[in-house]
Amino acid sequence: MQTLTLHNDVSEMTLLAPFLEESCDLLGVQPDVAFQLQLVLDEAVANVVNYAYSEPGKEFQVTLDKVDSTLVVQVIDQGIPFDPTTESKTPDITLSVEDRPIGGLGIFLIKEMMDVVEYQRQGDSNILTMKKNLA
Amino acid sequence: MTLNVTKEGDQVTGFLAGRLDTAASQQFAIDMDQLKAEADKHIVIDCKELEFISSSGLRLLLALRKETMAKGGDVTIVNIKPEIKQVFTITGFVSLFKFQ
Repeated sequence: MQTLTLHNDVSEMTLLAPFLEESCDLLGVQPDVAFQLQLVLDEAVANVVNYAYSEPGKEFQVTLDKVDSTLVVQVIDQGIPFDPTTESKTPDITLSVEDRPIGGLGIFLIKEMMDVVEYQRQGDSNILTMKKNLA
Repeated sequence: MTLNVTKEGDQVTGFLAGRLDTAASQQFAIDMDQLKAEADKHIVIDCKELEFISSSGLRLLLALRKETMAKGGDVTIVNIKPEIKQVFTITGFVSLFKFQ
């Protein structure tokens, strides 16, 4: 399993791309799926960085693993309880330029890219688990 | 992430290079002001060197599109890679911009 520890500082999100590149190489993940993972993790990690903690300097983890033919990605933080899978409304992607709201796309993109998106609160941890079938 | 802007007559071109992700979006929001100032013109966003876009980047492009809508200009996206265009397609942003 590949693990990256980040702080809740947006500048640390620049560490995501090299982590994913290295991890996807090691796990033999195809480039198209690696691109989707970049998107998924940018959205999931941005949520933690922006909303999970009220103070700076807090750590959280991103993990990536391949179990049989399933890619398992987790984002684990000890911030305020927050279930992104139920909190977000599905955006209306048919709206015009004038009516289209700025934002609300993060969790939608995650659900579109991944096959399974699950949230658990375990003890003081938020665990967002996202799975993609590679077979 | 870099944005270089060139002007030729009524057309303004912004050349995007690198990753337009959450980490880059704060700086890009500031850089975009030079394009928003031209929102009454034909703005071309050249994505030839763009490697990645997340919803943070889409949000900023939508903000530019809204500005041009209000001021009579438009936005055309050119040279976009298929995997990046897919993000526009999934989110419905593909219908909000012209592509060439």
